[in-house]
Amino acid sequence: MWSYIFRNLLQRCVLLVIVSIMAHSIVHIAPGEPSEVDPSNPRMKPEDIARIRAAFHLDDPIHLQYIYWMRDLFTGELKSFKDSQPVLPKIWERFLNSLPLFICATLIVWTLSFPAGIQAAIRRRSLYDRGSTFIAYALISVPGFFLSYIMILWVVDTFGVPVIGMRTFGMEDADPFFRAMDRIWHLVIPSIMSALTGIAILSRYVRSQMLEVISQDYVRTARAKGLDEDTVIYHHALRNALLPFVTLFGFLLPGLIGGSVIFEYIFAWPGLGRLGYEAILARDFPVILTINFLAAALTLAGTFLSDMLYAVVDPRIRLE
Amino acid sequence: MKTKLFLILAPTLLSIGLLQSYFWVPTYDAQTKGNPERITKFIEASIGDAKILNPILHSDGASGRMTGFVFEGLLDFDENLNLRARLATDWTMTETAYVLVNKDAHFPDGTAVTAQEMHNRMTAIFLNTPITILPPQQHTKVLSIPDSDPITVTLHIPERLQFSLEQVDQNFFQLLTPILGADYEKNVPIHQWIDVSPENQRETVRPQMAELMPIFEHNPIILFHLREGVYFHDGHKFDAEDVKFTYEAIMNPKNLSPRTSDFEPIKTVEIVDPYTIRIIYKRLFSPAINAWMMGIIPEHLLNKTALDQEMDDRKLSTSARASFGMRDSQFNRHPIGIGPFRFVKWQSDELIHLTRNDNYWDDVPKYKDYYYRIIPDALTQELEFRAGAIDTYTPQPHQAIRYKKNKAYQSFSSLGFIYTYIGYNHRKPLFSDKRVRQALGMAINVDEIITYILYGEGVRMTGPYPRNTQWYDHSIKPLPYDPKGAQRLLETLGWHKNDDGWLEKDGKIFEFNLITNNGNLQRKAIMTIAQNSWRKIGIKCNTQLFEWAVFLEDFVNTGDFDALILGWSMGVDPDLYQIWHSSQSGFAQLNFVGYKNPKADQLIVKIRQEYDFATQQKMTHQLHRILAEDQPYTFLYAPLSNLVLDKKIMMVNEEGLSTKIKPTKSGNIFFHFNRWRKLEFYPEN
Repeated sequence: MWSYIFRNLLQRCVLLVIVSIMAHSIVHIAPGEPSEVDPSNPRMKPEDIARIRAAFHLDDPIHLQYIYWMRDLFTGELKSFKDSQPVLPKIWERFLNSLPLFICATLIVWTLSFPAGIQAAIRRRSLYDRGSTFIAYALISVPGFFLSYIMILWVVDTFGVPVIGMRTFGMEDADPFFRAMDRIWHLVIPSIMSALTGIAILSRYVRSQMLEVISQDYVRTARAKGLDEDTVIYHHALRNALLPFVTLFGFLLPGLIGGSVIFEYIFAWPGLGRLGYEAILARDFPVILTINFLAAALTLAGTFLSDMLYAVVDPRIRLE
Repeated sequence: MKTKLFLILAPTLLSIGLLQSYFWVPTYDAQTKGNPERITKFIEASIGDAKILNPILHSDGASGRMTGFVFEGLLDFDENLNLRARLATDWTMTETAYVLVNKDAHFPDGTAVTAQEMHNRMTAIFLNTPITILPPQQHTKVLSIPDSDPITVTLHIPERLQFSLEQVDQNFFQLLTPILGADYEKNVPIHQWIDVSPENQRETVRPQMAELMPIFEHNPIILFHLREGVYFHDGHKFDAEDVKFTYEAIMNPKNLSPRTSDFEPIKTVEIVDPYTIRIIYKRLFSPAINAWMMGIIPEHLLNKTALDQEMDDRKLSTSARASFGMRDSQFNRHPIGIGPFRFVKWQSDELIHLTRNDNYWDDVPKYKDYYYRIIPDALTQELEFRAGAIDTYTPQPHQAIRYKKNKAYQSFSSLGFIYTYIGYNHRKPLFSDKRVRQALGMAINVDEIITYILYGEGVRMTGPYPRNTQWYDHSIKPLPYDPKGAQRLLETLGWHKNDDGWLEKDGKIFEFNLITNNGNLQRKAIMTIAQNSWRKIGIKCNTQLFEWAVFLEDFVNTGDFDALILGWSMGVDPDLYQIWHSSQSGFAQLNFVGYKNPKADQLIVKIRQEYDFATQQKMTHQLHRILAEDQPYTFLYAPLSNLVLDKKIMMVNEEGLSTKIKPTKSGNIFFHFNRWRKLEFYPEN
């Protein structure tokens, strides 16, 4: 098992390097220049542009640029083109902003999907089941940004409250309790909106898992033993149905850094997803590449974690 | 059953916990209840964040707006776009002119030229002008030439005559012609007075020789008197050292300042005394004075000692120290200036917070705090505005229409310095005749574009200057909308409709590609309208959209296009050299349509060298007329920029009464911002 873990980690490290090289090449080959060297600015002379290009190493061969990037990344001296600020603290600051949104949305997804999915499975083909299936597919098909706008319009129109950003502006001098509640309120709508698709998908999974398990022999046995229905469902069936979901925890990890660009954009949430998006628009190579690198690292770590978890929760599986 | 209970309780409690927060949040109707400080704060929304809060380094609008509050320049524009004194109390413009004495030459009467003789003859004519003879001088300069080693040139400057003129006069040297003779300039052996090292590079330097040692040289001079008793936000006194430092910082190549070209015409900056500074320019360039609107940065916080100190405090590694410059300084995120607001904090992509500078030398702002909120989406901005969480923003044209009808808000439309046009590539034979371009313009109904695409929020343009500057000639009529006339015009040029309905000449139909950048809905719509209008008169136009970067790199920079739709954001000065001078049509230059007109070229150069306002205005009107006649672009429209304000915001007039806010003539709504304040309720009368 240890040798498996070691081998696996090594493979992933190699893969990470390959991914970073590919990402670096793609970002540099793609058309467009960092906005600092934008030739359409009538006040910028070609000499100015040449100077800035040289300072950013933009005219060096691409492999050298890769090495400079890696060197600066690991010595912590990597700076954004856009504002010359160190990249890692910048990413960390945005990560902390994205974190509450991520946690809140994840909590909503995981607490709501299970009851919804289990109920649908128990009352198969009932009105509830058909209704929830319809809503789930509707939520999956309708784009999240569209629903978000409808939601925001409705909330602002009906209640006249601000819903945008991390908090209401001009509240700095209000009572701490009011401010805390204000922060929570601002979390509510974006996290619900970004959770909707998650709920729809996850509750479908739960439903189909439960249906599969409920038709198993051991569930019939449990019923035959004369156990009451709740014990059968929530003790015998649910436990086994949960198995595949444990591994899903591993896949949550990359979500930490990917954030959700669309919702952060709509709700003016100063998170990591928006940082990445704006970096792409401004061709801020150091920021794009570093976020990409971290996302790749977390994805690899996440799949690794889910492999491990699977072995832990299901004794039938062995890592060789 | 614990599991079941958990599965029910967990989502219920979570939902209650989240949703109850609604009852504690301020609503639009109760903005000040429980939060009375709200009306002392002004909150503005913006699509994008600032990048770098240093007036000499930024190149984006948001940073420009912020540094405008925190920093202050020597000058700015008043309500009518005339220069106004700020940190400078007043200024005078004079000129020093130089003439090289060529001892090999003769005066028209045959006398040999000597410095003394020339001096005598000049003094006889220019009675009131101090003229001095300068002894010969020697200068060494190192020229850096691309793809070659640096070249050292030694200039053996002969005696010169120096004229101290009371006014800048670009025609001054023409007055000397009767004395010196018309050929004086041609016969000066400049190349004999220049040593080049290595000698074999002489040919490389030859084209630059006239510039290295001008026979006639204008040196305009501005003398600024600075305001005394003005302090930076940290309490440090402002003086001429700061002005000089700002100039030096801009010119320091390490700082990569995008303003370098504005200050490049400066020869030297001399401190006369702590509150007087003299700026000497290398050549005539009248818009150069506008550069002094640039915010002045504090020398004591950004000089070498201060930067060294910062490097020590941040414990930077040796390699980081080597490349450390003003661009890397924390100052750019914590700026300290002289302006009406002092910087408090900046949270990236969320807000910039400024607070009132109570020691401001002019009118202290009424507002206590200023917030710049970053909201990247127009609809979100509207929602926040309606929820009372922002006081102002720039609505989209369709939103602006809604606000105009709604009495609950103040809304403004004002002209900016932007215009949109269709540009034709003059390198293509198809567009080389101005009558073709006129016909193309006449086929498009611009008024319709303004009505339907801009919802009426735009005005027609007839030429290259912003409409609200004095350079624009309002007497010039726009091209009429006349498709039949356009067709007749093309027929006189030999274009006739063929059987398919397309215009044809010498077996070729009138066909070209019209391109623009993707993502701009207005340009896309104009493209469709133009295509359709031209089809009606038999012109086949193919359209294509490209991503901005591709559009610039592959088409605009290379000049590899037929026609394109684009816009210019102009400055206030009358200099159009970069956009219209024929020398500026090379790779990645701004005259990418390749417009060439010797008459226009001459005017463009004269305009930038003219220091007299009336003359300059006359020339800009001439230039405007030439461009309107030549139609190198189909000038379309200048969009009106919209702004909405919370209705409770009023302006306090001299008597202390609240009055309605009115934009200035030049369209600036925020001109009197320091006198704005928000009332708790809107007075009903």
